[in-house]
Parts: sequence; C-alpha cells; structure tokens
Amino acid sequence: MTTTFRQRLRRLATTYGVWIFMTILTLLPIWWMFVVSMRSRVELFGRPNLALTRLFTENYSNVLTDSTFQRYMTNSLVVSTSNAVLVMVLALLATYALSRYKLTGRDNIFFWLITNRMAPPAAFLLPLFIMFTRTFRIGGWTLYDTQIGLILLYCVFNLPFAIWLLKGVVDGIPIELDDAAMIDGAGLGGVLRHVILPLAAPGLAVTGILSWVFAWNEYLFAANLTSVNARTITTGLAEFVTVTGTNWGELAAMSMITLIPSAIIVILAQRYIVMGLTFGAVKE
Amino acid sequence: MKKLFTLVLLLAFVLLANMSLVTADMHDWWAEAAAPYAGTTIRGVSESTPPSNYVADVLAAQFTELTGINVEFETTSWDQMYSKAINDMEANTGIYDFVYIEQDIIYSYLAQDYLVNLTQFAADNMDLAYADYDESAFTSFADYFKNADGDLFGVPMEAFVKVYLYRKDLFENADIQAAFEADYGYPLTPAETFEQYRDNAEFFTAYGESMDMDLWGTTVQGSTGHPASTYEFLESIGPSFGLYNWGINLETGSAQSANGGALDGETAIEALSYWIGLLPFAPPEATSSTWDEVASSFAAGRAAQGWVYGENAAWIATDESRSAITGNVGVRLPVTAPGVIEAAEMGEGYIGYYDGGAFGVPHSSRNKEATLLWLQFIGQPSVQAEWAAAGARITHTATFDDPLIAEQDAKVDGYYTLLEEQGPLFAGAPPFPFHAQVREIIDPFVQRAILGELTAEEALTQAAAAVDEELSRLGYGM
Amino acid sequence: MRNPRTGWLLLSPTLIILLIFGFAPFLYVLFVGFNQWNVFSADDGLVFNGLDNFRRLVFDDDFLHSVGLTTRFAIFAIGSQVVLGFILAQMLTRNFPGKSLFRIIHTLPLMVAPIAVGAIWRLLVIPGFGPVPFFLDRWFDLTYQIGSYPDQALWTSVIMDVWHWTPFVTLTMLAGLSAIPREPVEQAKVDGASRFQVFWYVTLPFLRPVLLTTVFIRIMDAIRTVDEVWMLAGGGPGTRFTGIYIWRVVFPRTDYGYGSSISLITLYLTIVLCWLLFIAISGRRKGEVE
Repeated sequence: MTTTFRQRLRRLATTYGVWIFMTILTLLPIWWMFVVSMRSRVELFGRPNLALTRLFTENYSNVLTDSTFQRYMTNSLVVSTSNAVLVMVLALLATYALSRYKLTGRDNIFFWLITNRMAPPAAFLLPLFIMFTRTFRIGGWTLYDTQIGLILLYCVFNLPFAIWLLKGVVDGIPIELDDAAMIDGAGLGGVLRHVILPLAAPGLAVTGILSWVFAWNEYLFAANLTSVNARTITTGLAEFVTVTGTNWGELAAMSMITLIPSAIIVILAQRYIVMGLTFGAVKE
Repeated sequence: MKKLFTLVLLLAFVLLANMSLVTADMHDWWAEAAAPYAGTTIRGVSESTPPSNYVADVLAAQFTELTGINVEFETTSWDQMYSKAINDMEANTGIYDFVYIEQDIIYSYLAQDYLVNLTQFAADNMDLAYADYDESAFTSFADYFKNADGDLFGVPMEAFVKVYLYRKDLFENADIQAAFEADYGYPLTPAETFEQYRDNAEFFTAYGESMDMDLWGTTVQGSTGHPASTYEFLESIGPSFGLYNWGINLETGSAQSANGGALDGETAIEALSYWIGLLPFAPPEATSSTWDEVASSFAAGRAAQGWVYGENAAWIATDESRSAITGNVGVRLPVTAPGVIEAAEMGEGYIGYYDGGAFGVPHSSRNKEATLLWLQFIGQPSVQAEWAAAGARITHTATFDDPLIAEQDAKVDGYYTLLEEQGPLFAGAPPFPFHAQVREIIDPFVQRAILGELTAEEALTQAAAAVDEELSRLGYGM
Repeated sequence: MRNPRTGWLLLSPTLIILLIFGFAPFLYVLFVGFNQWNVFSADDGLVFNGLDNFRRLVFDDDFLHSVGLTTRFAIFAIGSQVVLGFILAQMLTRNFPGKSLFRIIHTLPLMVAPIAVGAIWRLLVIPGFGPVPFFLDRWFDLTYQIGSYPDQALWTSVIMDVWHWTPFVTLTMLAGLSAIPREPVEQAKVDGASRFQVFWYVTLPFLRPVLLTTVFIRIMDAIRTVDEVWMLAGGGPGTRFTGIYIWRVVFPRTDYGYGSSISLITLYLTIVLCWLLFIAISGRRKGEVE
C-alpha cells in the first residue's frame, strides 16, 4: 500500500486540525483562570472579555507574600511527596507479595484493597476525626493537624490505586529472572533491587506521579482533619469563598500557582507516564 | 522584599499607634491578670471575613503583646467552620478554646450544652474580670446570645441586618424619573411597599433592556445549589410579609396550618410567590447567587435595588477596588407588608433577621480562663471603633458615637444610624434547637419553587409536611 | 521455595495501614448505620434501630433521585471519556512533529485540583462574568443558566468531568495501544480486513484489560465525585449526586445514622458493580494463561 504525498499531507492536516481544536478546548478553561487571575475584583463583571486586558499582578503578589500561603504550600509539598514515596515503597512490596507468593485468598485481598478507594468520604470523616483526635493521642500530641496524619491517611486511596497499577507491571516481569538471580545468590532484597526495580521503573514512576497528584489535589480530608499547622493548599483555595464575597482573582491566582508544580512534573515525566500505564496489558 | 518590609513597618506602626492608646494602668492589669496563663496558646475557628481577619491580624497581636497569651486563629469556609466546631464540641476533643457562633445556631448549641455560660464563669472568676468590659453595653444583638436567665454565652463580634439598597444615581436621575412616572402614573422613589418594589423592578429591567445595559430591577438571592435561597425566604422575605419563625409552631411542634403552624399558610404562599415572581426582573445569575454573589452583582451595578446584607453595604458604597457604584448607594429599611412594622415595634414580630455572630467558649476547652481574658479584650469598648471601620460591624453601643463611625456613616447613607435606631425591629433567628437540620429539609422545596417545578403553594405544602416528619424524627414534633 | 510467610510480611505494612485508616472507620460507619443518631435531636444518643435506616432510604425520593443522577452522570461522562480518549490515543500512536507538546497540553487538566476545576468552571458558566453563557446568547441566542435549568447543570458537570478526566483515559489507552504487538495487526491487514474489522477483532481484544481497568477506576471515582460539582453548582437540583447527598445528610443535617446507612448502600452498589468488572478483567487474564 503506497501513500501519495497528497494523502500524507491530508492526513497530517487532519491530525493537526484535531489537535489544535483539542488544545483550544483543553486550554480555554485554564486560560480563563489565568485571565481572571489578572483582573481586579471590580473588573470581573461585565461583558466577558477573553483577552488579557492588562498585566495586573496584585492577586499574585497578595497570595505569594502571605505567610499562611507559604505554609500551606510547604505542607502540600511535604505531604504529597512523602505520601508518594511511601506509597511507591509499600505498593512495590505488596505487589511483589501478591504476584509471587501463593497467599490464601490472594484475589480477595487484591479486590478488598481497591474497595478502600470506593468509600464515599463524607460519612467516614467522623470516625476519622475521632481516630485522629482520640485514638492516636500521646500526651498532648494527636494525629490531628499533623503532616504525618495526612501522609498516612492518603494511603487509603493511593495505595490501592498504586497496587492495581503495579500488579500488571510486576506480573509482566518473568518469574525466571527472579529465580536466576536467586540461584546467583541474591536474597529477597537483591531481587527487588536488581531485578524488579529496574524493570518496574516506568510503572513505578507513573504510580508515584499519580499518587503525588492525587495527594496534592485532595481537599475533603485535609479540610476536616487539619487546623492551622498542617493545612494544605487546596483547603486554602476554599478560604477565598466567604460571606462577603468570593475573591475570584486571588482564588484563580492561587489555582494557577498550585498547577505549576504538577505541570512541571508532567512535562518531565511524559515518557514514563505512557510506558507505565499499561495495567499489564500484554506480557512480552 | 521591599514590599514585605513596608508591610512589616506598617504593621509595626499600627501596633504602636494602638499601644499608645492603652494606658499604663490597663497595661499592668492585663499583664497581671494573665500572668498565670502567659505562654499558653488559645485556638479559635471562624470564617474568613473582614471582621474575623481583623481579629486574627490585629487584635490577636495586641492581646499577645499585653498578656503573653498566644492566639491561634483558624479561618476557613462557612461549611467547614461548622462541621469542625461541631465535631470538636460533640466529641469533646478540646481543639478549640473559642468558636464562632452564628446567631441562628446558638440555640442548637445551647440545647446540646456545648457552651460555657460566660456571665456565670466571669462571676466565678472575679480576679479575671476586666473593669471596662460590660455585658450590658452591647447592642440588642447580644440578647440573642442569652439563655432564659439572661446569661451571656457568646461575646458578639459582628452584627448586621439585611437592608434595602438602591442605586441613587438611577433613582435620582430626572430622565429616568420622568420615564417612570409616564409609565406608572406615580413618582419614582425607593420602594416602601411590595407593589412599588415590583413596579421599580419591572421598570428598571425594561429600562436596562431598552438602553442595552447590563441592568436589572432587583437582586434575588436565589441560588438553587445553596441554602442561601432558603435563608433569604425565611429570614427576610417571609418576615416582611408577616411569616415569623419559619412558620413553625414550637408548642405544637408543627409547620402545618392544621396544627398551628404557618409554613403552608396564606402569608407564606403569598411571600414565596411574590419573591419568585421577582426572578424575571433579576439578573440571570440570580439562580446561582448566594449572599456574596448578590452583593457582588449589586456592586457591579447589575441591579437597581435589592436586599443585601449590611456587612456588604460599606464596601459597596466606598471601596472602589471592588465596587463600580461607589458613592451611589442608598440605604433604607427593607419593604414590608402593612402592619408588619407596627407588629415589630410592639415586639410581636420582626422585619428580618438580626444577623451576625459571637465568640463562645466550648465546655471542652482546656484554657477557659485565658480565653475569658481574650473575649473580654475583644469585647471592650476601646477596640470597637477601628474594628468596625475595618469590618463594617457594630456590636457595642459605644461604637455608634465614635467619630470614625460617624464619618463612615455619611458615606454609607446612614447604614450605621439605621442599625442603631431601627436595629430592634430586627430579631435573631427563632430559638430552634434544630436549626440546620430543618433548614436542610426546606431547602429542596424552595429550590424547586425557584426552578418552577413546583408552585409556591405545592412547594410550601410539601415542605411543611416534610418539616413535620423531620421534627417528629428529631423528637421535637408531635 | 517461596515461603508465604515472607509474602505476608511484605504485604503487612499495606494491610496495617489500610486496616487502621480504611477498615476501622468502615466498621464504625457500619455500626452507626444501624442506629438512629442525630446529635441535634431531642434525645441525642445512639439508638439501635435495626434496618429502619435502610427501610427509610428505599422510600427516600431524594436518595433515589440522586442515584439516578449519579448513574446518568457516570454513564455519560465515562462513555464520552472512553470514546474520546481512544480516538486521541489512536492519533498519538502515529508520529508527527509537535506530538509531545500536544500530549503535554492534553495532560494538563488532570493536574488541576478538583476544587480548582470546580472554581474554574463556575467562573466560565455563571452569567454575569462567565464567557460561556454570554457567547451562547450572543452567537446562538441560547439561554444557558445552570441555576435555572437542572439539565444544564447536569450536562455542565458531565462536560467538566470529561474535560478533567479524558487525559487520564487517553494516557491509559495510549499505553495499552503501544503495547499491542504489530504482527497481528499487519497480518489482519494483509488478509484484507477492513479498518473496522482490525479494530474490532484485533485491537479491541488486546485493549480489553486496559479498557476495563480504566473504566473500573473511573467508575469508582465518578461515584464519589464531590469537590468539583460542589464548587460548580453546590449540588442543587440536577447535580445532587449521591456523594453530595450523603455529605448534606451527614453534615448540615448531622443525621449520622442515616448518612452512614446511605454510605453503606452506595459502597455496596459500587463494590458489586466493580466486582462484575473485576471478574471480567481477571477472567480474561486467566484465559490468557491457560
């Protein structure tokens, strides 16, 4: 089958047409958020103007110079990064166990893991609140309003997801490689480090990235289980909605700033994301 | 960096300026009384509104300076504030030493015995009583934070009434006045009756359309995804028609007319149909507007008149960075049906809610003494005026006479005078221990009436029945 | 050779964390679900009432309505995401200049926090400052007010969800497509199969596990969607999805007993649905092994 130059050109034109259209659709809301973040409160109403009318940076400077905002940002970074690392480690171990060992009720455990992500969060806030303030109390210290509390809690929805993602990846690594390494005298740690880790790296990377993003974006638990010290950036967003007016400009500015770290990660890790998301589609 | 430095300098200056007002005597008193508690940290939660932010940024710093007691202030959104305060008090965890109590929820809190009796507690700790703090000096708003014996459970921190705002530039424009009179046969004035209000609304909507302006005749706080719409109906529109206490008869525990209630009565139906009938004259965002969005719409000049919460009146009238209609805002009492004002004057009714909030101390607090000092600090007369200027709130009778407020008053067309003189016509929320629970039941019916899925009569009949069901489930009903 | 004990040891940290932070709260909710408990009722203790809560929810129009809405939301949103995601992924399998740039841009929405997504879309669609109603009115003379028309609110939530989550589906589909071996496809083409036949008999079976897992994850998350829709429309008529309904019952109404029982039923329905999908996925896997 030969394709003429003309056909190739037409196909390329279609491709670009579709992608430029998709890009506009994708970017329009984000662009609008940017435009709003560049407007003063009094300019918000009126005939909507999609163009950037002027560079009004006060919203950004207000947000960035606010010390509470800086604290929220630090908390978010610490919580989501620690959570992602913890999830990657635990998920790799758990997946390896589920993939290589004959554990009683393995399939059921595997399914039970994911059910943890299904629970509608609202009703679970009360028991979690009691747990955070009462059960885990050492002297005057409680799990409530701590970064460690959120790091552990976010495992509830990130770990199952991570294990599901990694299961296919680890299943896809031929068991013979493990055996060969063991015959060469490697222990469990050696197998994990030298056989599984390199081969599962893309999958692990995407697991880490998505866990990080989910943790970074989480709102409900953070809003209810932190007070002053461990509040995250998403709870800060909700603070702009008040009885005397929603400060859309600053809210948009903060949203833009919140988007930056995730966007950087995505750009850097583009390749891995696709390589790692196969859910074990095909075993080579 | 430079900006930050200026900010710090400014803050230091403000602090110093305030400090100089505090005489050495008082200074000593605070330090002495607080000596046993110096170094402790008290925590509070509130919504992030201008009055709260003033407390967090300015008053807390002053207090810490005087006493060595740290104040940690958590500001959050409205829903979050409630769920967190209630969780804390219900589970008796003691996270918060003071909580923001919106006036309408106080009776629920009192019924559950969440709060410390401040009058009693101050009397029991005479050595902590600050001479300048006087419970009786608060405005009548404080009455709605008292129990049957007249003991106070919250130190009022903000208070507002929902007023009638109108655009002076439109109402006083000679051409517009002539056009109105030509159409309706009587002169254009700020509305005093519901018929007039509706005529004004209709006229300005048509006027906006003919001039191709983004102008409509009235605001409606009609969000179909938020309790704000139910609030506007139950706390402003209903009472001004003569529907009090949500039409719920506490003695019989019923909202149905058959059992002494009034939620499905004629007055209620009239009020709801009137209010919904205004929707065609409201800007298109009305069905998505909560309280703040109504204020923003009005400030953007999109409505000629409307019901707007008083805490917004000041910034709408004066803050050019947020409002397009500064200097053109007129303030009046909201319109009422005949006889309602008279009933309110006799104490047999009210024309709307006296809204706002106070800080109270949960029983679960572990630093009650230090918190008492803090509440007295924010309740003393000398801090009120500047706080009022920053947050458009008045809870203390002395504040009205302050020159700072008199100056503001002129700019907001006498809102503070109205609050002082006509404040007593407004009343706090009905003493329901089931406030949020029953409001949630009424919400969907009001929303469906706004959408036109139900007529006013159907909506209220069904709402009253649903309310009765919930009341009996909660144990307050028949 | 492989001692199950080592396996359990490797699994144990995961199990411990999930038992404490996932299962223990579940037990609490399970317990409360069989009680009448509202802290603001006249008698505010827990009263065991057997299956009363569950009986009540069968007749609760608001709950049933919310389930219907959630189902419509999930079907329309996930359906569009899968179709759109597949088409876009298919286009990304070919090489063309600028591909990675488009891919990065297309991934961006996935990175926006749900609560910010809701805020952005609110800014887009509320009349008065939103460009969408303004231009729809100006160019097509259409009235678009999500506050006044519940259907529009539902559709707006669906479109918002499609905007937010299609990138995820595209990425998983792309991963699935890139893992498909070339030979069967080429072979089918040589045998004279039409493009549709290649897709139906070759591509789709290879893609099935990825497809089902993606749908599985999306269903799970769509059913618990709260943040975005809450910010967008507050959960009024048209968007009062089950997640939001539970939130309203548990929080402003503080009806913990009833709220817990609704959560349990919702969780149960989700599990059943996902279990069926799970069987479909793992059944296929077993088939391959044999």
